[in-house]
Formats: sequence, structure tokens, C-alpha cells
Amino acid sequence: MDTNRNPSVNNVFAIAGIVIKEMYRRKDFYVLLTLVVALTLVLGSVSFFNDQHIVRYVKDACLLMIWLSSLVIAITTTARQIPAERESRTIFPLLAKPVGRGEFVVGKFMGCWLSCGLCLLVFYLFFGLLSASREHTVPVLAYFQGMWLHWMCLGIVVALALLGSVLFTAPSSNATICFIVVLGILFAGGHLNGIAIQMRGWRGALVYAIYYALPHLEWYDVRELIIHNWGLIDWVAWVGATIYAGLYMAFLLACAWLVFRRRTVTL
Amino acid sequence: MIRLLPVFLLVCCLTLATVLDPQFERWHNHEDTSAGVLVALMGDSRRLFAHEFFARADAYFHSGFYPTIFDSQKPGSESDLVEESHAKPARAKEHEEEASFLGAPKDWMDRFGRNFYPVVHTHLHDGNEREMLPWLKLSADMDPHEIATYLTASYWLRTSLGQPAEAEQFLREGLRANPDSYDILLELGRIYFYNRTNNFVARNIFVLARKNWRRQETAGKKPDAHSYEEILGEMVKTDRAQGDPKLELEDLEELRQVAPAKESLQEQIDEAKAKLAKPKPQGH
Repeated sequence: MDTNRNPSVNNVFAIAGIVIKEMYRRKDFYVLLTLVVALTLVLGSVSFFNDQHIVRYVKDACLLMIWLSSLVIAITTTARQIPAERESRTIFPLLAKPVGRGEFVVGKFMGCWLSCGLCLLVFYLFFGLLSASREHTVPVLAYFQGMWLHWMCLGIVVALALLGSVLFTAPSSNATICFIVVLGILFAGGHLNGIAIQMRGWRGALVYAIYYALPHLEWYDVRELIIHNWGLIDWVAWVGATIYAGLYMAFLLACAWLVFRRRTVTL
Repeated sequence: MIRLLPVFLLVCCLTLATVLDPQFERWHNHEDTSAGVLVALMGDSRRLFAHEFFARADAYFHSGFYPTIFDSQKPGSESDLVEESHAKPARAKEHEEEASFLGAPKDWMDRFGRNFYPVVHTHLHDGNEREMLPWLKLSADMDPHEIATYLTASYWLRTSLGQPAEAEQFLREGLRANPDSYDILLELGRIYFYNRTNNFVARNIFVLARKNWRRQETAGKKPDAHSYEEILGEMVKTDRAQGDPKLELEDLEELRQVAPAKESLQEQIDEAKAKLAKPKPQGH
């Protein structure tokens, strides 16, 4: 049986389980969570003009820290997966049959993505408690939509970092490149069309092509809607964004598998 | 060799202490310690941060509906926050109804992406204006010489939020950093006139504001003519509230020289003259 073409769900979840266990044994998440909680509480304790009802700046700072922390967790965790397996030589018994390379890639992806989901759950739980303590209300559905979209974004980031880890040899260079690409897309990805219109000619067409080809991670950053209590996002758009993210994850994972499939695994 | 390391570190610490001690002494002797530390650490870059924080306050005022550096804005257009708080409050509603800076969607992706960020032009109201105050405070801490920050925060504190004491405290901080500012004095006078109804103190503050404005004009600094009109206008109001037609007439005459609406002012001057001509009722 060619396991590359027919990846077994059990194998995938076994590998994913190992990644999740590794995640909660490491201290990265706990350190980041402590930092987010401590900094948010310090910020929340500051009094401006003796007004105890000011809350949005605390939500803003907390969500920014959650986003940065989640990106750090997603990229650094994913970037080290395959190089660490190679370095510790555990990749050789793992890739022995019946675990195929496709299962290995998908298993690593699932492990990292689910780990990020668990981290997000804890982060957003804290955010919800903070918001409830200051605003005396929790828009559960709006926060769920925000967290879900955030998780979808991290799915694309994890798939991108996994592709990077089979392309680049060192995890540090992969992580750095991923950070630059992700932050670049978040900052300017949604504005490339405007830039392309101003450029015109073949350069404009090229920028427009990049605009269409890039995964639009900025769609998943709905912090402004959450901070300023804008209410629910249109559910059709929410489902559309989920499908879009799913397609990008599948594409990036397929690329990672295609590269990894033909690669000779050596020390 | 390794035993000498602690000695070497100790010498380094002592040397560093001798270098840093005078610096700290200088910071502590500075009239505002926190500002001194900020200036020492950040230099002029703090003004950039101040501008950024003020823009953040403006973004909060619009509940996140705010242009990025990629979005086009009308050339010469002033911040809504400044415009509404102390320049042209009457234009607020009209401005809210203006077309969005976003324009029509450029493509289907742009149209779809607009589901995920604020696309409606609104302004904070019903006391929610308080949400922008932290950014204004931070902006003032970063650049204490940016007068618009004090005026904006004070306007919202004394009007919608009903916190004139906090507004006064903030304005006095601004006045310490900018003792020649007629705009801060004008705003301070308004607190005494509208919130505290202390007409006597309010008029004295407006007189001081006028004095500062004139001093700047004499020095050739080209102070804002609109502010001068506002100072005189507020003085006229305090004169009326105090029931002093003589001072009212003097101030109206002065205002007529600079105000564009001379005809309506002439009517008010005539009324003041009529009041002066009336014999005062005899006291018992």
C-alpha cells in the first residue's frame, strides 16, 4: 500500500498527539501567557483622568499581545518540527513504513495547528474574562468569530512555516522569513491593489497578480471590530473566509509534501 | 585569572556608577522628572510617538474606521477630532455624513475584505468619548508642547464626560509646559465660565489669554486670528453674565475690529450703549 497517496488518519493523529504533548511540556506558551496576563493587568490598573470605565485601550493592548504571542508560538513551533526530528534522528524510524511522508507532513501540521488552537482558547478565555470584568458583558459569538478567524489565519501560517521547514535548512532562517512574510501581508497585503492601480503598466499587473496570489491574512485580523464592539461579522463572509483559509492550507501542505517527498532525508 | 573576574566586574560597576550618577542627578533636578527621563531616552523621536498616539485617539473616535498610510485623504484636511473638539464643532454632524475615504471597492477581494474591518463613519457619543482619553494622555506625555492634545482632551472632559476638575488639572499641566499658550487659557476660562459659572475668574483668565495673544502678535509670531475672536467673544459673554455693560461695550468694540460679522455686532453694540444710557436703579 502506498501510504503517500492514502494517508492513514490514525498515523496523522498519532504524530499530531506527539506535537501537542511536546507543546504543553515546553515552557514557551506558559511564559507568553504569563507575560500577556501580567502586562494586561498592569495596563488595566492604570487610571486615566480618574475614569474607571475606560476599557478599549486594555482590550486593544491585550489583543495585540495575543496576536503577537500566537504568531510566535505558531512559527517557532512549526519551524523546528522537521529539523528537530532530523537532528535527533527520530525521523528515520518515523518515516519507516507504515508512516508515509504525506502522513508525516499532515500530522505535523495538525499537531501544530491544534496546539495553536488550544493556546488561543486559553488566551481568548482570559480576554473574555478581562472584557467581562470591565464592560460587564461578553459578546460570546463575536469573540468566537474572532477567535475562529484568528485560528484559521494561524492555520495558513503553520502551513507556510511547514513548507519553509522543508525548503530551508535552519529553523532560524525559516522562522525569520515566515515572520517577515506574515507581518508584511498583515501590514500591506490588503493595499497592494491600490498600489497596483497607481503603478499601471506591466509593473502594476505584476503587483495585482501578487495581490490575488497572496493569502489575505489581514481578513482574519478582526481586532478593530472586537475592540470597538461592532457586533457580528456576516456569517456568509465568515464561512467564505474559512473556506479560503482551508484552500490555502491545503495548497501549502501539498507544496510541502511535494518538496519533502523527493527529498533525501540525511543528517 | 578567573579569580580576578569579580574584581574586574566590581571596578566596571564603580566606573559605571561614577558616569551614571551625575546623569541621574541631572534628571532628578529637572522640573519634570518623567519628562526628563523621556527626553533623555527618546530624544525628538517622542514627537513621532506623540503624533501616532494622537492619531490612535482619532481612530478610537471613529471606532476603528480610520485611514492607513495607504489610504488617500483630502489634502489639507484636519483631523476630525481636532475639528469637532475645538475648531468647528458645528460641522460634526455634516462631517459624519461625508463620503468614506475608502471609496468604491476596487475588486471582488476588496469588497469581500470589507466584511472584516469597520467601514461605517461614526463618532463616539454617549460618554464613550472617554475611550480615547488614554491615547491623548500618552500623546501629551510624549510631546508636552502639542497644544491640540490638551484642548481636545479638555473639551471632551468638560462637555460630554462632565469632568471639569480633570479637564482643569490636565490644562494646568499643559500650561506649565506652555506658559504662553493663549489657547490653553481660553479653554481654561471656558471651564470657569461654563462649568463652574465663576464669571470673575473666567474673565481674568480670558484677559490673560488676550494679553498672551497680543504679546505673540507684537513679537511677530502670527498667532491664530480665529482664537483672538474666540477670546473676545467669551469676554463679551462674561461681561454680560456679570452685568457690566461698560466692559461689554469695550470688548464688543474690540471684537468688531477683527470679526467678519460686523453688522450683527453693531446691533449688540447698540444694545450695550442703550443699557449704559439707562439710569441705574437707586439702591435702598
